[in-house]
Amino acid sequence: MPAIPITVAAVTELPLDYEDEHVHRVYDQIASHFSSTRYKPWPIIAKFLSEIPTGWVGLDSGTGNGKYLPLPLDRPSSIWTIGLDRSRNLLEIARTAGVQGGPREVVWGDVLGQGWRSGSFDYAISIATIHHLSTPERRTLAIQRLLECVSPSHGRVLVYVWAMQQDELSKRAIPAIGDPSSSRVEDPSPKTGVDVFVPWVLASQPQDKKQSEGHSRNLIAKKRAEESVQHDGVGTDAPSQVFNRYYHMFAEGELEELVVRAAQGLGLKVGSHNEGVSEGHTSGVAVVQNGWERSNYFVELRRWQN
Amino acid sequence: MVRLITHNLLACHVKGCTRNNFPLLFENVQIEIQESDFNPDFLRNFMPKLEWKALVDAARQLGDTSLPLEQPEMVDEEFLKALHHVLLEIHVMEGAMVCQNCKHVYPISNGIPNMLLAEHEIG
Ligand SMILES: [Zn+2]
Repeated sequence: MPAIPITVAAVTELPLDYEDEHVHRVYDQIASHFSSTRYKPWPIIAKFLSEIPTGWVGLDSGTGNGKYLPLPLDRPSSIWTIGLDRSRNLLEIARTAGVQGGPREVVWGDVLGQGWRSGSFDYAISIATIHHLSTPERRTLAIQRLLECVSPSHGRVLVYVWAMQQDELSKRAIPAIGDPSSSRVEDPSPKTGVDVFVPWVLASQPQDKKQSEGHSRNLIAKKRAEESVQHDGVGTDAPSQVFNRYYHMFAEGELEELVVRAAQGLGLKVGSHNEGVSEGHTSGVAVVQNGWERSNYFVELRRWQN
Repeated sequence: MVRLITHNLLACHVKGCTRNNFPLLFENVQIEIQESDFNPDFLRNFMPKLEWKALVDAARQLGDTSLPLEQPEMVDEEFLKALHHVLLEIHVMEGAMVCQNCKHVYPISNGIPNMLLAEHEIG
């Protein structure tokens, strides 16, 4: 497969209109093909979900094709993850994700909305979603929504975003402007990433045989989603089309900065429970772990209160 | 799907609608009953987090009167089976959920609730 060219994007319109055109509409149109390539859970996310106690209920904000909704597979229906997404066509796929446990619970909504009782979830995950928001303010708000939707005393949050620092095995070619390891050494690497378009090529035959083999369990759902895609005029018989998805690629340290800004905006102390209490704080959020995995930055948070 | 487990979490989020915005009321609903795996440990641990009255009222709205008005202190198998059925086996496939306070209508279509708001409704 040839390198996929990524181009620099400039956010010129109102953020909402911009994301509508360059994120939401794209996912609605590429839903079934996109889903057929996204079926393997990432290890850190699978581990996070495997450690959630039985009886907890969580939100997958930006669930896409719902691949995390059936987890953990060794304890089916011991926890319930409710999937939220902006793309109706992806939700049609998500609602039947996984072979075990029957249909999933999914909600059509925006990651910046708050259509739930505050603090009613025990955990929340946001995987490869916040990088589709086109301003720092909206990305901060998205983190705040995650912190608000979980329990103030024990809520756990896991966030994954796309990193400028790419895996060696990644097929993606990053535009020079966004390459942190390039010659721009004198630049003290400000913690702002880069806005890019990542193309998605919807071939005339999106479901070649090879792709379908490993995950035939989603075939019915895929078929259903394809039908709805076809209603939009982009189906299996249409010629190849390129859709440019908007991404904000995160710089190193930018995600942690975003978390701090989000938490402070909610009046939450960022730090461990013990540390916070000794300083006289009554509620806060601890950073359990953060790091880089497979071309993504991640951060795991835990809320605490006295 | 809108099952009552999800309904018990959803609230109206129209700008300025912060009181009496939970629970949403069902309207013109079509339901389907679909069996799901019974997990008593999940139910026991999840129970304390439920808004019980909202759950009982919603179940009655959907024609199920199996749950007592007060959450029982003694939890037996029979009760857990009833709770399991109400929470996880009644699927609202079509219809709407309406906010008691601002009357905003959240449509449900093909089992998926639409919680999106128009730009001017976002808080
Ligand atoms: Zn309302």
